Amino acid sequence: MSATRRLPWLLLPAGLFVLGIYAWPTLLLLRNAFNEVGPTGAMVEAMSLKTATETFADGFTFELTWNSLWLSATATTIALALSYPLSLFLFRTTSRWRGILAVIAILPMLISGVVRVFGWLAILGDRGLVNGLLQSLGLISAPLKLVFNWTGVTIGLAESIMPYMILALLAGFGQLDRTLEEASRSLGASPARTFLRVTLPLSLPAIVLAAGLGFVLSMSAYITPKLLGGGRVFVLATEIFEQATTNTNWPVAAVLALYTLALLLVLLALSNLLARRLRR
Amino acid sequence: MSYLELAGLQKRFGNATAVDDVSLSVAKGEAVALLGPSGCGKTTTLRMLAGLIEPDRGTIRIDGAEITRLPAHRRNMGYVFQSYALFPHLSVARNVAFGLEERGRPKAEIARQVEEALALVRLSGLDARRPRELSGGQQQRVALARALVIHPSVLLLDESLSNLDAKLRDAMRHEIRSIQRALGITTLFVTHDQVEALTMCDRIAVMHRGRIAQIGAPEEIYEKPATRFVAEFVGRANALPAERGPDGQVRLWNETLALAAPADGSFDVFVRPQRMRIVPVSEPAGPDTARVSGRVLRSVFVGDHVEVLIEGAGGQLTVEMPSGSPAPAEGSEVAVVWPATESRVFAREAP
Repeated sequence: MSATRRLPWLLLPAGLFVLGIYAWPTLLLLRNAFNEVGPTGAMVEAMSLKTATETFADGFTFELTWNSLWLSATATTIALALSYPLSLFLFRTTSRWRGILAVIAILPMLISGVVRVFGWLAILGDRGLVNGLLQSLGLISAPLKLVFNWTGVTIGLAESIMPYMILALLAGFGQLDRTLEEASRSLGASPARTFLRVTLPLSLPAIVLAAGLGFVLSMSAYITPKLLGGGRVFVLATEIFEQATTNTNWPVAAVLALYTLALLLVLLALSNLLARRLRR
Repeated sequence: MSYLELAGLQKRFGNATAVDDVSLSVAKGEAVALLGPSGCGKTTTLRMLAGLIEPDRGTIRIDGAEITRLPAHRRNMGYVFQSYALFPHLSVARNVAFGLEERGRPKAEIARQVEEALALVRLSGLDARRPRELSGGQQQRVALARALVIHPSVLLLDESLSNLDAKLRDAMRHEIRSIQRALGITTLFVTHDQVEALTMCDRIAVMHRGRIAQIGAPEEIYEKPATRFVAEFVGRANALPAERGPDGQVRLWNETLALAAPADGSFDVFVRPQRMRIVPVSEPAGPDTARVSGRVLRSVFVGDHVEVLIEGAGGQLTVEMPSGSPAPAEGSEVAVVWPATESRVFAREAP
């Protein structure tokens, strides 16, 4: 009995779990996507592409897609710009506080998304920390609009995906080796040149991995766009929720959900491909 | 005139003094080994030379110019790392070209020099490979070529052969030595392997606890160790406990020896195993010959020689005999003789 033949049994518990709570509902979703909505607003059992064609013909779907992609791209970029130096520091430090610092960095992950959003409201709101400080310093007269708009959602989303990106970066920094940077310096490269020629290229696979993860998490985020957007920020995730609950339009919600899922799978595949190519 | 001059170098890490007052003068074109056990400060010394760590005290000069605080990238040192530290994302050619590219040399000149450097280390034709597609020995050569191509002021080798298997290490030892000689490049070689130090260098600095215990030509280090540590660390030696008796004579294993020794106290007599001979008990000691007697515990055949372990009144000793000569039978009573001049006497170390 070889190890490779035994291996699939180890996947069985997780496999059954995923099958039951993910694959089966997704199949039901797929079935719903072919249903129609009758004149009364009730769902009509059908096997047609009517709902799908109508949804994709609607200009709003395109706008939602663009909004989701743009929001995810900006939030991921901001989060990456903040996470990369931090992760590099955590990866390298030999401080005995390293473990504690790493936990602090990923602590937001352990806090409920709703609680985190209320935190941001306290910081970014009209009477929040930022506006209060700026006003007391006399830098602004009227409060800046930092929440219930795209700015607030982008900030909140960037913060919420950072812990995941930090973990992905730390996991992906494997090839990074202090000795390589020392070799670069001994060969005449300044610290800045060493970063550009050695550190950055070697951490590129980690960056792609982390960015891919951050992007996917942003695309599927619901709480942050919903609560920090104040009803003014429309993305795919919020629309799916609206259609499924407020409008009880299950077929449209199903079409949009599957569409989002497909988008994510394509993005994930692309980032994996890129990461693999870079690792070579 | 010395080319590379280390004066009073000191480096502390927390409470531990890694390097303590190391001074060393190296002539242009000379190869010097820093030999010592791990933790003796040899690598720290090398890293201070390369500018990878800053000394707490002391100065480093090259050709009269002080470089003690100069950043690593402006020192022009060729550093070959123990792990080779080849850039995994760059081809062999780009690895070797790295230093020249950073110096802003024209493309055509870089290409020509890289080709020459790869030819020098016998790696022509492998320029497009990635480092991980090379064997350990080949990686070592790339690292050497990369360090040499920048025409460094000093070539620094950090345990550079320790990751190779024994056969390859022998070959690389001779190869690096001949390249070093041909280019006349000043070289500092850090190693814990005495064979490497003895065969590859003009002089050896034996380091112990952050200090240089002795510096000299390989023969001098081997034949005239200045301290007990050097005698123990370089080559093999029997340390035979001895003392001066009330009659003023040196007594070793209950036998009286004619040796120059400290006026009083206990000390050890160091003798290299291959300088000792086993003779029949009946054979008397000649003039200027030290002689002890004992019983053969066992003989071990080691290929090019036979190690004979002998037990006597004061403990055990090992004699190295050329293989092929008849080894004495185990359990037999024999005498061991050696020229008195082959004895080195060091004070007993407090345990």
